[in-house]
Amino acid sequence: MLSLRIATRFLRTSPGQSILIITGIAVGIAVQIFVGTLIMSLQASLLETTIGNASHVTLQNVDDKKPIVYTPGLARALESDPRVKLIVPDRILSVIFSKGSDSAPINVVGALPSDINAIYKMQKHLVSGRLARDAGDVILGSSFAKKYQLAVGDPVLVVMPGGTQQKLTLVGLFDVGTSAVNDRLGFTTPDFPRRALGMASNEYSDIQTQLVDPFQSATVIKDLTGLEVFRGVQFKDWQVENQQLLVGLQGQSSSSYMIQVFVLVAVALGIASTLAISAVQKTRQIGILKAMGLTDSRAGMVFLWEAALLGGCGTVLGLAFGLGLLQLFQLGPLTFSVVLDPAFVGGSCAVGLAVALLSAIIPSRRTSRLDPIEVIQGV
Amino acid sequence: MSDALVVVSGLSKVYADGGLPTPALTDVSFSLGRSEFASVIGRSGSGKSTLLNLIGLLDTPTSGNLVLNGQDTAGLSHDGRAKLRNTFIGFIFQFHHLLPEFSVIENVYMPALIRGEAQTPDLVSRAHATLETLDLCDVADKKANEVSGGQKQRVAIARALMNRPELVLADEPTGNLDTENTEHVYELFRKVNREWGTAFLIVTHDPEIARQTDRVLEISDGRLLRDAGPDNPPR
Repeated sequence: MLSLRIATRFLRTSPGQSILIITGIAVGIAVQIFVGTLIMSLQASLLETTIGNASHVTLQNVDDKKPIVYTPGLARALESDPRVKLIVPDRILSVIFSKGSDSAPINVVGALPSDINAIYKMQKHLVSGRLARDAGDVILGSSFAKKYQLAVGDPVLVVMPGGTQQKLTLVGLFDVGTSAVNDRLGFTTPDFPRRALGMASNEYSDIQTQLVDPFQSATVIKDLTGLEVFRGVQFKDWQVENQQLLVGLQGQSSSSYMIQVFVLVAVALGIASTLAISAVQKTRQIGILKAMGLTDSRAGMVFLWEAALLGGCGTVLGLAFGLGLLQLFQLGPLTFSVVLDPAFVGGSCAVGLAVALLSAIIPSRRTSRLDPIEVIQGV
Repeated sequence: MSDALVVVSGLSKVYADGGLPTPALTDVSFSLGRSEFASVIGRSGSGKSTLLNLIGLLDTPTSGNLVLNGQDTAGLSHDGRAKLRNTFIGFIFQFHHLLPEFSVIENVYMPALIRGEAQTPDLVSRAHATLETLDLCDVADKKANEVSGGQKQRVAIARALMNRPELVLADEPTGNLDTENTEHVYELFRKVNREWGTAFLIVTHDPEIARQTDRVLEISDGRLLRDAGPDNPPR
């Protein structure tokens, strides 16, 4: 490994230059890891906030006015699809909340407490009380309750679609972080809306599902649509309903990629220019070594090793910087959690090293081609 | 194996600087035997160094043939030429051409590392022995640029001798040295030539130095003007 030994010595005899370029690579890799991880975490958080507590694919009767029949065949078809991780049949009843002279429209969602907990993570979001368990129980958003001065245990008077009044009991308050849910929805058991809507025991307003990979929704819908058991069923895709969010996420991804590409280009230019300068500085030494019998390929390897050493040290340091920055960032108040993706971090390091090696191609080829007579006669 | 270590036949070199052909060496032929101690003299620009660079495989001839140690060098690849330079030839230049990044002893054993030898205690002791021959043991661990001019040139000589080459090519090896150091260097050359049987071809413009060699090849305007030695006394 004479080429490695020569490369190491060349780097050690120009410590300032070596430290500068290692720092340059480290900053590049650190920015890459930091910016990439932050944007990915932010996107994951946005997605979780938007669709973590919502249906990804919703099944309804093609006739909006009619309920969907949850047949055993339909249940089997959904349960046997490995891409579907959660199935929640529910009934939605639109009522008017009434208290004194105040009134407000709310949709009361009736489903099993376990299902409500599974899709809305309701147990986690409960701020007081418990989930609706018995007939007549209802839980409401804490902001809604505050606005109408309601507390757990209070009666909740609602006007049904037919104009009759029904008294429910407020058993819990929740805060899911979205006003659309907090201020407009209430959750109850399946039976209360079933009776009010006159549905059979296997009839529901819709069937909400969550997928293992939410971005597979279009494919899942396409596959299910063709099945006989889904005849007369319409599917609603979260991606179609959230076009603006997706455009926003795509824009964010594009800007993240742009930043990362420019950082890598800057790193590549930094390494390439340093190695080019080093190759010029060391022309005499390479010529002498070649005069002593060092072959062209081994001479070229000197600068590939230099690039590998600079890239390796810079990448390790950059990884430490990047992870350190992320740790520091998390000390401040954050509205989302930073999640490190090992594949992305590993990929960033690999790309950093690859860029370093690619940057060495020109100085390495130049060194390979150097004729020792130019150096010997040039003095 | 033939007694001729170097066989030069009709060697010519023409440079084409700016499109105008400039002959540097024209139809030079001679042979150098094993253990010979010869010099090449001539004025500046006469073609002495060109001849040495061609024999040392640092440059390629425009025409003619060069056989080193029985091997025709015409068809050699770049790597083949590099290998022959490393194992068969030791170079000493007017400027020491040491590697400033390495210590004196590392400079000395660098040709052995290039040959593929590992840095074993045996290699290091061989390098020390070579330095001892040149009275340089005290500076072995110093950086190459931390020793005096005379010492640098002697380090360069030690480096040229490290692989125990059969041929040493020296281009004005004492051009930058004072009289005392010059004499010391030639004494060393003689000693190595006598004890190790190494052949020397020394380029110089100093007739006094040439007189101390066994054979003098005189080059003028790129042609071999005179070849005077024990077998070819001056005409």
